[in-house]
Amino acid sequence: MSDKDSSSKILSMPSLVGESASLVKNIFNDPQPLPRKVPDYMRGKGGFWYWTGAMVMTAFLYEALTGLVLLFYYQPSNAYVSTMAFLNNTPYGSIILTSHLYGAYAMIVLVYLHLLRNLFVGAYKKPREIQWLTGIILLILTIGVGYFGYSMSGDVLSADAIDVGKGIAQQFPIQSVGFWLALVFYGGGSSISQFSRLLGWHIVLAASIGVLFALHFFIAEYNTIMPKVEKGADKAPLIDKENKEYKPWYPYNMIYMSQIMFLVTGIIILIPSILAVLPNVPILFSPFPQAAPGTAAAAAAPAYPPWFLLFIYKELDFQLSITVGPFWGTVIFIGIPLLYLLLLPILDRSEDLEMQNRPVHVALGIAGIAYLIGLSIWGAVDPGVPVDYWAFLLFFAAIIIPVYLITKYVTEEVKSDNMKEATLPMLVILLTLIAVFAFASGITISGYLASPGFAAATAMIITLVITAILVVIAVALILGILPEITQKPEKRMSGSSYTFLGAGYAFCAIALVSIMMVIPPDGSYNGSLYGIGLGLLFIIFAALTRLYRSYVYYE
Amino acid sequence: MTEGKVNDPAKDNSRRNFLKYMTLLGAAAVSVGVLRGALQNITPAVSGVTGGFPTMQLVDSSGNPIKTTDLVVNNPQIVTFNYPLQSDPNFLLRLGDSSNNDVVVKPIANVPIPAGGSFPSPGGTGPYKSVVAASAICQHLGCKPPEIRFHSPSAANFPGKIHCDCHGSTYDPYTGFSVVTSPTTHPLPNVTLNWDSSTDTYSAAGLVGPTIYGQPSDLSGGTPFPSGTTKTTVTSEAP
Repeated sequence: MSDKDSSSKILSMPSLVGESASLVKNIFNDPQPLPRKVPDYMRGKGGFWYWTGAMVMTAFLYEALTGLVLLFYYQPSNAYVSTMAFLNNTPYGSIILTSHLYGAYAMIVLVYLHLLRNLFVGAYKKPREIQWLTGIILLILTIGVGYFGYSMSGDVLSADAIDVGKGIAQQFPIQSVGFWLALVFYGGGSSISQFSRLLGWHIVLAASIGVLFALHFFIAEYNTIMPKVEKGADKAPLIDKENKEYKPWYPYNMIYMSQIMFLVTGIIILIPSILAVLPNVPILFSPFPQAAPGTAAAAAAPAYPPWFLLFIYKELDFQLSITVGPFWGTVIFIGIPLLYLLLLPILDRSEDLEMQNRPVHVALGIAGIAYLIGLSIWGAVDPGVPVDYWAFLLFFAAIIIPVYLITKYVTEEVKSDNMKEATLPMLVILLTLIAVFAFASGITISGYLASPGFAAATAMIITLVITAILVVIAVALILGILPEITQKPEKRMSGSSYTFLGAGYAFCAIALVSIMMVIPPDGSYNGSLYGIGLGLLFIIFAALTRLYRSYVYYE
Repeated sequence: MTEGKVNDPAKDNSRRNFLKYMTLLGAAAVSVGVLRGALQNITPAVSGVTGGFPTMQLVDSSGNPIKTTDLVVNNPQIVTFNYPLQSDPNFLLRLGDSSNNDVVVKPIANVPIPAGGSFPSPGGTGPYKSVVAASAICQHLGCKPPEIRFHSPSAANFPGKIHCDCHGSTYDPYTGFSVVTSPTTHPLPNVTLNWDSSTDTYSAAGLVGPTIYGQPSDLSGGTPFPSGTTKTTVTSEAP
């Protein structure tokens, strides 16, 4: 066989190896100008969905920045004490520590949002398979870096998280490998060795996110955004071809992106600062570390993992997980969904991007997110309560079967033109919410039956009413009896309104910063008040940017 | 430079492929060399104690030996001591019936391990053969007191059992800390307690049963006591 044949055979092989080889070749031999010119629709109505990646990046940059500050103060030899000292005795330490936690929460939520958006629009298809793969690895790394960061505080929840992680690692089928893994991740046994390892892995994983994100970003730039196309023309591969009407990245996209970054940063600082001054915040959403392990106060903290790991916590309660042990339970309930996501570009190689032509994967996406949220709620409500086989099967069947049947019905209706294709994205969101709230209703109903009372009844009624409202909207949407929302042409504000609004925002900002200047810098409570001001300042800044874009660029 | 000049007429493809494979072999050799160094380097030394189990006398916070009268039957407080390493908490229980009279805890030759096998439990010690001790780290996923604790025989929930709030594992201290309910598949490792009848003092002398959770062995994988330590402090805290 000649050499030429073998190389062309590799490239024509329908394999990810071949595609990544050609991607690397194209990127290096045919570099695209970066940044490219950009279309207007990514900044228009609904353009939000083009920026989920930028939001993840904002959260990541925020985490890197605050993480570096924390690095000045954190002592692995004294994890809990140094964390609490940073929180209580370092000026503005409470803002940095609590928003570092909430920045991580934001990053995780946004990573899921980014993933779901790309799953539903079919962005995992040609030519974006490698982009998708790196994205899934980034999801795993993000959860991993979150786990290590959470375990570093040295409070009772972190001690539990460490013990659970250690136990799962040690149950690796080959025992010596399991013990080795536990040693490498958690150290040789002493407390200082353990927290030094946790800090090390936290930084190593964060750095790998940075590197892989750079790759993910440049592949994304190379492959372009998923363009807006006419109905019927949405077949893979979709590439956004620059045309003459496109505007340069600077200043249009840059200012838009800055606006998004200010907004995300503002929210990341604002939410934990508000939670920090509120009384009785549930532990799951508390921005503070809990009591030290082994103290009497530690008993008051439910043995929860952080909310983003609650689904793993609950799957370990399944009889199946109890029978096969925590290691294989995790492999089954986490490994299989991850494998599905990793293999998705291979499982679904059709060129159809429309949702109606791939009901199975759309239904799996909806059911997947419903399981994730459902299991998390379940874990929070019934922590550590074993789930027998029938309840486990009922839980999975009660979500996947109706979701699949409804998705199949709706997509058939769209295909036979009984329904508008444009209603599909809305229905996907509605169906996900219905699945989640129907499951939550199940929990609140069983909670009410187990112990009737005012709180239980209220919870039951609220979840049932929300479920009913969502179902009514979905049915109305499917039957097409909702009134058409007619888009009014956007009216431009008068020139003096811009002046008035701009002056108003700026005045608020100056007033706010003046108040903040008189807040004493000491103490966690004052720090949180300062954080509320700082968060609002960022949001006002974002609003001013929005106003400027609207006036100068007519956007 | 044109293609023709690059293609040396003497070049043949089999030789080119041969060189490719040799290069791959070189890469493999480099990887093996680097990996061995890297993997060994990142493996930490396991801290622990050498030799056999140390014998450690149980003392109170002022260093005085614990006597039987210091131990409350069915104590609602969580009473623990660290052994054999500083990071290994153990329950110290003086077991009684529901009216708080001492119960004789018999030695059991075969405490079953649901995951497979069995071990002999030493049973109770002390004047009433009612004092027992066992690792206070849950064998399921490693939760420690106060999340895992003893509930007295007159308690409403889990009477006379050790229950872990994390995932619901339950153990029976009256029968060698055997497994009552899953998810745990291992009983708690039993501490061998020695009681000196002449001085009414207690000392821990070893562990039997499964390995302490999360450690490669009972004597390694935790923070050791300073060398020469012969006493371990019994502490009690509210649940």
